[in-house]
Amino acid sequence: MRTGIFFLKTNYLLIASILFFQFFINSCTELDRDTIAIGLNTAPITLDPRYATDAISYRITRLLYKSLVDFDEQFHAIPELAVWKKISPTHYRFTLVDALREFHDGSLLTSADVKATYESVLNPDEASPHKGSIAMIESIHAVDPNTIDFKLSYPDSLFPGRLVIGILPEELIYKKHNFSREPIGSGSMKILNFKNDMHLKLKRLHDNKVIEFITLKDPIVRVLKLLKGEIDLIQGNLPPEVIAWLDQKESIHIEKKRGNTFTYLGFNMEDPITGNILIRNAIAHAIDRESIIKYVMGSSARLAGSLLPPEHWAGHPNLTGFDYNPEKARMLLNQAGYHDSSPLRLIYKISNDPFRLRLATIIQDQLASVGIEVEIRSYDWGTFYGDIKEGRFQMYSLSWVGLKVPDIFHYIFHSKAIPPHGANRGRFVDSNVDLILELAESEVSLDKQAVYYKELQEYLLKALPYIPLWYEDNILISKFNVKNYTLSADGNFDSLEYVIKN
Amino acid sequence: MYLNYIIKRLFGAVFVLFSILTLVFFLIHIVPGDPIEVMLGETARAVDREALRHSLGLDLPVIQQWAEYLRGFTHFDLGMSLHSKQHVSQLLLQRIPATFTLSFASLFVAVLIAVPLGILSAVHKDSIWDRLSMMSAMLGVSIPNFVMGPLLILIFSLWLEWLPVSGNEGMNSLILPALTLGSALAAVLSRMIRSSMLEVLQEDYIRSARARGLTEFKILVFHALRNAALPVVTILGMQLGTLLAGAVITETIFSWPGIGQLMIESIQKRDYPIVQGCVILISFSYVLINLITDFICVSLDPRIKVD
Repeated sequence: MRTGIFFLKTNYLLIASILFFQFFINSCTELDRDTIAIGLNTAPITLDPRYATDAISYRITRLLYKSLVDFDEQFHAIPELAVWKKISPTHYRFTLVDALREFHDGSLLTSADVKATYESVLNPDEASPHKGSIAMIESIHAVDPNTIDFKLSYPDSLFPGRLVIGILPEELIYKKHNFSREPIGSGSMKILNFKNDMHLKLKRLHDNKVIEFITLKDPIVRVLKLLKGEIDLIQGNLPPEVIAWLDQKESIHIEKKRGNTFTYLGFNMEDPITGNILIRNAIAHAIDRESIIKYVMGSSARLAGSLLPPEHWAGHPNLTGFDYNPEKARMLLNQAGYHDSSPLRLIYKISNDPFRLRLATIIQDQLASVGIEVEIRSYDWGTFYGDIKEGRFQMYSLSWVGLKVPDIFHYIFHSKAIPPHGANRGRFVDSNVDLILELAESEVSLDKQAVYYKELQEYLLKALPYIPLWYEDNILISKFNVKNYTLSADGNFDSLEYVIKN
Repeated sequence: MYLNYIIKRLFGAVFVLFSILTLVFFLIHIVPGDPIEVMLGETARAVDREALRHSLGLDLPVIQQWAEYLRGFTHFDLGMSLHSKQHVSQLLLQRIPATFTLSFASLFVAVLIAVPLGILSAVHKDSIWDRLSMMSAMLGVSIPNFVMGPLLILIFSLWLEWLPVSGNEGMNSLILPALTLGSALAAVLSRMIRSSMLEVLQEDYIRSARARGLTEFKILVFHALRNAALPVVTILGMQLGTLLAGAVITETIFSWPGIGQLMIESIQKRDYPIVQGCVILISFSYVLINLITDFICVSLDPRIKVD
């Protein structure tokens, strides 16, 4: 009987706690149906375009700020805020054209703001990561409120394409305004608030619609939130099997567009094993890229034969890399002196991203079938990146995101671009490559430059400092009622300016 | 006497904090990876890299950096984030409320589950109730948070549509992460309550209470539970400490802007001042909670003396 009484009391406790939760549950918040919410896998690090280097920061600052120049689909530089004229090979004149060039604080964007922005990027005290890309600027002169002159220390026919940093108001630059958290630009959206790094709200200026960016690190949660309608769209960064599963859902719309994110295998040319061209060729023939793309990546990539995609003005129209040919790979390995009795052993370094790790294990398996024993070593980003830059690797894989200007070839393959002077991480030294690069750079006409770069790309596929793998597609996953969102090649968020929700 | 004790403990805390701070400072500088590389990427020239390294004081010998940091620390200056250029104290203050709310809510859930389960299984020892409640407690601890979290989201957000999937807006978004963490904590707690209760229920004063004709409820709650609470309070304190250190996985799943996520992100970016700030906060809260736990134990059982 006593225990019976006790049992009644504990029941009360349980009922009380259930009621307690019911109270919370009943006070369920209504979803705000009027905003358009985008789920991100990482938060933007900064909203100051002078410091933005990560993809998310870059994409969001494009909405907040306008720059002098932008790129078209073939990655030609095109006017955004200004048109330009080449007065001499080292003198460019930009004229501001956009009639609606007002900053979010109401002031007019003038040449003084352009000058202040670029001077602050060039100022060593500001430590902008973009300083290197505009280091050829010798002086900046505001001729009148609409005209600005850039004088260069050496000729650079790609110069206009480098002026893509968003313009900030001069006055606030001098006041050391914290643009990273309180951005003020002249873009199509202005900031509403940015709390906790995980929740960014912008206001679209033409219709006062609120656009929200919500950071959701866990991909499954991002998907669940989309299904529940708490976010409206996600762009990329989901496992292929999840995308395939979502494709069957009626409430979800999926769209793909070819992108220019270039994934490759890099080699250390100073290493006796990976420095051997026979071995690099063997590896290139041993990887079945088409199967990986079809079965592992859900067909959301296309074969790559070079750093720049074929549609780039300096890209090569018909390079797709190596055929899958395991017999040939074995033969090349035999030539290099490796047999089943004395197999080739390699260390393959990658980051700790789960999807990259999975791809690496597949490549490991494919290489094993031709007799190459690969040991995968996966590190956190800081350690991995440090090792790659220092040349502490035999083989690694990484991607280049958002490549636009072809001087990237110099930066990656010129013998003088070994870190810290560039990104020639594999210590690739080839006088032919240096020569073609220098010829291309000294050429004034872009068409003639393109010819050199095509020649270079063919040559690189023979010299093989990189094995090109694929260009990854951009993927949009949205609720069905989201309209007017067009994917771009570099994955930018520009079409958020027009997106609507029915 | 209390005051003496507190002063003594605080001195101990200062020593603990100093050791942890020093250890973490040197360890994080030994780990490969360079914040400058992460910040500037490869497009930067060597000169710019060195300029930035100098302006952040990262070119000084580590010993000197450590001395600088300690000097700042004594002036309550935790430094600035290398990446976002915000004050570390400001960043921590942004995250503390979320961490505190989640920690106390999870502990509340844990107690809410564990106390009835623990008492139930102690009173009905070896019965089906005992087995069932202990089994459900084991289930709570055996399901990892990264499974439990999405599972709860599926049930309560997607199917029942009661609660939001994730985020930090209002009470509703607190329930699922608190349940995820709380259910795991409840397992240890309910086992502790059970064994402690079993011991206490054998005592003479329980028998005399029964002889005096007190209701079973009064006996259990006011006589047994209070005496059984000592080891439980210690465990609770430790669990709260762990929670305040940030429940990284749960925070990540529920996009909860807490200390754990901040620290992990900063470690990845090698943002030394934030990592140090987080470590100091975490170790300080451990020390403080231990102190509070001791006082609660004293007030629960007057036989324990503070010194």
